[in-house]
Amino acid sequence: MGEVTSPSAPVVTTGYPWPIETTRLPNGLRVVVSEDRSSPVVCVNLWYDVGSRHEPAGQTGFAHLFEHLMFEGSAHVQKTEHMRLVQGNGGSLNATTNPDRTNYFESMPSEHLELALWLEADRMGGLVPALTQETLDNQREVVKNERRQRYENVPYGDAWLRLLALLYPDGHPYHHATIGSMEDLNAASLDTFKAFHRQYYAPNNCVLTVVGDGTPAEVFALAEKYFGAIEAVPSIPPAPSGHLPGPADTPVRETVTGAVPAPRIYLSHRTYAFGTAGYDATTVLAAVLGNGRGSRLYQRLADGARIAQPDYIGSYGVDLAHAPAPLIVTATAKDGVDVETLEEGLTEVVGSLLTEPVTEDELSRAKALLTTAWWRQVSTVGGRADTLGRYATQFGDPGAAAYRLPQWLAVTADDVTEAARYALRPESRVTLTYLPEAPAQPEEKSA
Amino acid sequence: MTLIATRPDAGPARPYRFPELQRVTAGGGTVVAAHLPGQLLASAMLLLDAGAAREPAGREGTATVLAKSLEEGTRVRDSAAYALALESLGAELSPSVDWDAFRVNVSAPVPLLLDAVRLAAEAARTPKLDPADVARVRDDEVTALRMDWAQPGPRADAALRADLFGAADRYGRPLHGDPASVAAVTVDDVLAFHQEWMLRPGVLLVAGDLSTLDLAALAEAAFAGTAGEPLAAEAPLGVPVRDRRRMILVDRPGSVQSTLRIGHRSPERATPDYVPMTLAATVLGGAFTSRLNHLIREVKGYTYGIRGAYAMTRRFGRFEVAAGVQTAVTVPAIADTIGEIARTQLDGVTEEELAVARSWRAGQLSVEMQTPGAIVGALGTLVLHGLPDDYYVTLRRQYLEATVAEVSAAAAEHLHPKGLTLVIEGDASVLRDELVAADIGDIVDAEL
Repeated sequence: MGEVTSPSAPVVTTGYPWPIETTRLPNGLRVVVSEDRSSPVVCVNLWYDVGSRHEPAGQTGFAHLFEHLMFEGSAHVQKTEHMRLVQGNGGSLNATTNPDRTNYFESMPSEHLELALWLEADRMGGLVPALTQETLDNQREVVKNERRQRYENVPYGDAWLRLLALLYPDGHPYHHATIGSMEDLNAASLDTFKAFHRQYYAPNNCVLTVVGDGTPAEVFALAEKYFGAIEAVPSIPPAPSGHLPGPADTPVRETVTGAVPAPRIYLSHRTYAFGTAGYDATTVLAAVLGNGRGSRLYQRLADGARIAQPDYIGSYGVDLAHAPAPLIVTATAKDGVDVETLEEGLTEVVGSLLTEPVTEDELSRAKALLTTAWWRQVSTVGGRADTLGRYATQFGDPGAAAYRLPQWLAVTADDVTEAARYALRPESRVTLTYLPEAPAQPEEKSA
Repeated sequence: MTLIATRPDAGPARPYRFPELQRVTAGGGTVVAAHLPGQLLASAMLLLDAGAAREPAGREGTATVLAKSLEEGTRVRDSAAYALALESLGAELSPSVDWDAFRVNVSAPVPLLLDAVRLAAEAARTPKLDPADVARVRDDEVTALRMDWAQPGPRADAALRADLFGAADRYGRPLHGDPASVAAVTVDDVLAFHQEWMLRPGVLLVAGDLSTLDLAALAEAAFAGTAGEPLAAEAPLGVPVRDRRRMILVDRPGSVQSTLRIGHRSPERATPDYVPMTLAATVLGGAFTSRLNHLIREVKGYTYGIRGAYAMTRRFGRFEVAAGVQTAVTVPAIADTIGEIARTQLDGVTEEELAVARSWRAGQLSVEMQTPGAIVGALGTLVLHGLPDDYYVTLRRQYLEATVAEVSAAAAEHLHPKGLTLVIEGDASVLRDELVAADIGDIVDAEL
């Protein structure tokens, strides 16, 4: 790959100009260290290779509920003590679950590195004996509240749940949403959850990444000390195959009439899996199409035809790695614009990617925005650790993170057109439309 | 398998440092810059004394409409050309309005920051503000606010604010206005706001690798064509508190959750009690292990999360608890919330709880201030509140040295469980009888 650059931007040959060292413990735990002593902060990040794609029918929502249970105590950590110890030593922490994986992370003042490793080892190797029915029942309620707050009580809140089911066939590992079915969660016994942990929360199913104020030698020794005695799990079943023969060949359409303030459309297609050249082209395509005020969608529908609300228009890929990942295009109608007009406009702009070659200006604009976004992502030790954990887990090499930005910058206008021709054809399109129940009632009032 | 049972002790702490600051005064304005060696991105923010409080009565949202109009073209290029020029640097303009200031923020790779600041200043100082564009942006903003107000939260926020500060006062109206006040904003209001408040120099805040950034050139870009003296600070608004609780019901038919906003007024940012108040609120509702989150999420399972905090600006402060709770448990969740506020006010905090709060707040000063964007935000706090360059070092020490007695005294003085306003946004047909029966306070319907 050559050094590719937009006219005014600095040349970029690597997206990861920090050192990376790795090792693997005898129990299979992969350890990645990237030292940076510029501030007294360290991030500990664990990627477990288990996500909602691993859940069999009848156990949807398990991976995510587990993310909650991991904060509720383990062999040597009392219930709620995990949070108290991290925050009580100045740290920030969280965890997330998606279809591909579950990650856990804490950024700490660096004198507490060892504490963070001890906490993570204790819940990797010692969660099951501490898991009680009471904790399970409580966190089930918390997750139900999460579902209400994020998906049910918000206009358009369930769009992602609906899109997944429309994009991926029944039985595909991405067909069901990570939040899962409340019926499945209610039906499961404590023993089923314990079995889930024993199966997947294994050192050989995990990447431990430490970024920031710590040396590789120190981290490797501490990893051995705290994680070394945890036994590998011999045969972890892979997730069901995400293979699909190609883009869908029949368009699908769903219309939801509900408590929403304006008509909104989501167009979505399966594209390529994250990490492939095709997905890099899709990432650039999404930026050309819908990132920023200079994008085609904004220029033509918000600014030009003025049929879409400027604050609610855009397109983005969802970076999933184990099957062709979705590209989502969305727009919301301005007052007085009917949904047919909006869909016509959206379809035309998406279609322009097949018929109107992307210009050099469009390409450099998109790449400049992606460049800034990349550097922003790796500007914190937390962002860097999660990036390395992802590449180690999904591609077997944390150093591969360095190639993503140069690969984006190497995408050509032809690559974008080819990705559009492959993935964005009308016959593979999912169209999800939201319509207000009654004509929108203005909320004006006499103050 | 043998896990190590003993929790490790902390290693030696590295000293806390806030980045070294540099100042350059040129063109009538000042650049305050923080040196972040090795950072690939840099961030800049034009901080102008043009907050929402300067908007005319009944036209709340004027500054927000202006903020959204800045990119509709400048005197030298149209909106499409402006977007292409700025985004080709990898930069995006983020103008924002709060009670104290109008901020125009850009981030870009270090070598491109000067060009990005030139474009940001071009938009902030010399926007085209074509009347037809401003009117369209205003109409779009009315629609965007309606979209926003269809979510749970904004109506409850507005009801709480109106009750605490008085619906007739600017501070009692929503920060960004409501759909009606924004609809009333005229093109002339927006032009006048720009003319009156946006052409004074203000302060340019910069965070990045200063070894290659030219601060004098940045000053020239930011302050060209500006004039005027800094504006005099205005007096704080005081801390009136209700003598009995009041509940305000905001109807959201069919809602599966009740959105709670519970609060009262408190002192402004300059209060000498800033540190103990912050720590008291951290124990009560700030940390994950706070009293409120522990009881209402972890023990009761009523919510996905509940937070309580003081928010403080130059002229006012406010204590507020925010949560979404399952509809069926609305009344017990409110009762538990009042109970924890009252207990904290009466009995103060324990050493064990305070230890968590102290270390967390102190540690966050390093953990959450890693990026140029975060440092620029911190510089904004220094400038807005007239704080010294070593403020964050001092603040960290004050957090770590605060005693149980000091923090408990702050809780006793600055929490008012009997003077709370409790806004409940939820399904009124389900909630009303139970709320009346609970006898928590007077109950009224929101005038929204």
